[in-house]
Amino acid sequence: MKRYNLIVVGAGPAGLCAGIEAAKRGMSVIVFDENEKPGGQLFKQIHKFFGSKEHKAKIRGFKIGEQLLKEAAATGVEVRLNATVTGLYPDKEIMVKHGDGMYHYKGDSIIIATGAAENMVPFENWTLPGVIGAGAAQTLMNLHGIKPGNRILMLGSGNVGLVVSFQLLQAGCEVAALVDAAPRIGGYGVHAAKVARTGVPFYLSHTIIKAEGTDHVTGVIIGEVDDHFKPIPGTEKQFDVDTICIAVGLSPMSQLLKMSGCTMEDNPRRGGEVPVVDEYGETSIPQLFAAGDVSGIEEASSAMIKGKMAGIRAAYELGFCKETETENSLEKCTADLDSLRQGMFAPGNKGKLIEKTEEGIPVSMNLLTKGFVADGEIIHFPGVTSQKGIHPVIECTQNIPCNPCQDACVKHCIKIGSHITSLPVVENPAPCTGCGLCVASCSGQAIFLVNENYEPGFASITMPYEFLPLPEKGDKGKGLGRDGKTVCDAEIIDVKSLPAFDHTNLVTMKVPAEFVMKARFFKAV
Amino acid sequence: MQNRIAEHPILGTPQKGRLVSFSFDGKNMEGYEGEPIAAALKAGGIMIHRYTAKQHKPRGIFCAIGRCTDCVMIVDGKPNIRTCVTPLKEGMEVRTQYGCSAKKDDTL
Repeated sequence: MKRYNLIVVGAGPAGLCAGIEAAKRGMSVIVFDENEKPGGQLFKQIHKFFGSKEHKAKIRGFKIGEQLLKEAAATGVEVRLNATVTGLYPDKEIMVKHGDGMYHYKGDSIIIATGAAENMVPFENWTLPGVIGAGAAQTLMNLHGIKPGNRILMLGSGNVGLVVSFQLLQAGCEVAALVDAAPRIGGYGVHAAKVARTGVPFYLSHTIIKAEGTDHVTGVIIGEVDDHFKPIPGTEKQFDVDTICIAVGLSPMSQLLKMSGCTMEDNPRRGGEVPVVDEYGETSIPQLFAAGDVSGIEEASSAMIKGKMAGIRAAYELGFCKETETENSLEKCTADLDSLRQGMFAPGNKGKLIEKTEEGIPVSMNLLTKGFVADGEIIHFPGVTSQKGIHPVIECTQNIPCNPCQDACVKHCIKIGSHITSLPVVENPAPCTGCGLCVASCSGQAIFLVNENYEPGFASITMPYEFLPLPEKGDKGKGLGRDGKTVCDAEIIDVKSLPAFDHTNLVTMKVPAEFVMKARFFKAV
Repeated sequence: MQNRIAEHPILGTPQKGRLVSFSFDGKNMEGYEGEPIAAALKAGGIMIHRYTAKQHKPRGIFCAIGRCTDCVMIVDGKPNIRTCVTPLKEGMEVRTQYGCSAKKDDTL
């Protein structure tokens, strides 16, 4: 039997952060993970994260994963891979399956950070090859470089469904439609908008009726649902697709905690069966903690903070950290976590229809039901102004905890203020130089640089562009509206790809002046 | 190899191991050493990994992270190998699994 001050189960964002904080304070730490590679889901997350600097905002998930692994190595955290923890027993003892052997470990404290598993919805033929989880799609394309399919229908409009749909487009797949039984889009509006403007149709209040095909998926039939989520006969729509991707939420993988005998509860707000924990993640069994999605479904940014808190608290309880230092560190974590849990998507607002922003502006109902803000709605938002010369147009219309755009602008054109969920405001007149750093900094890809007076009769629009092939200067094509439909002719006049933009290319197109507030995407013809 | 991403806008060119050959139901196929067997099969357009024991229904990749066991196949004679988390090696013999067997007849 081997003994450690701290055993962590799960080398994802929560587990690694917990291990790092404990090891920094002098604890001997081992982290087990059943996978071949550490990092949990972080290495599949290729989008820029939301939040503020403290939350590693505007850094892509896989880069955060690389940072955490470096930090874990530097602080002396042992990470044991291909190691499945099969049992958690009294007195903090565990059994680990590694290769063909079983090994016995004991910890002075244990942090369970096993994450979550995907939920599924059954429908006729749902077991056909070609029906996959959204996580499987992410794994195939972002870890292994394999297209999950050529033409895909996505079920689920939460952030996972929206983000994975965008990633499918980035991988060169076609997304035939995005479907959700709920009447409103569940994830961030900015994530929906960047999918919608490429031309992907959204079908809210719709569900999958059946998958077509005999030995693999060749098509899918969806239908509209009534208020009780029952399909309405006669509303069926058919799509030829080879893949159906399911993104209908996550459930905590809390089996080890249940086995330990700590107090559990069935809490739908936290995603299912979860341990009862205090503010630091400690369960009813002293020195047994839970951190990250296993103690309630959130996302990677909050999982990292919850991991830190459990690690710090575990160190304190075993005498590795003085009381004042502990209090200060935990207070900082609590503040960071609180700021992430603000705004329209705060845990307390789940399922609620919010009709007005914190600023009192009516929320775009088009955004919630179709995935894009209508032309008539967009002008109400403080980031959208009409000015002479080049200036940013920020189509950020929901209160979400995110502020990198404010820091990105050296000229201070953009103001969010101290309240992280406030909508960004563009100064009028803006002292904008057109550097484009704000465009690349926006994790939601909601910032455009607009020059209404580019040349007589024409305006220029600079947009974030993360697809291949990258358009080239002189390319002629069509400007697409927020709804992904053609609105005008467009010509590419500039393409910028700087290291500072971190793979968000800035593509500038010239359009007839009257379309300056309508065209938001470019399609080559 | 029609399903491989040649160049990705964020991730660049996928970093892969050595190109190796393996067999699927006796047919020669190629994949990259170290990638999951399931990835190599998917790249080659193979969708069906096994047929269920009772109803003989086809199954393929579902979770791709080793949890659901839908993608299990017979690898080098061993049944129930989760192909989505088992790294590909040169010369591997991969077979469609029928129930728990490599032979179609056993399940009928």
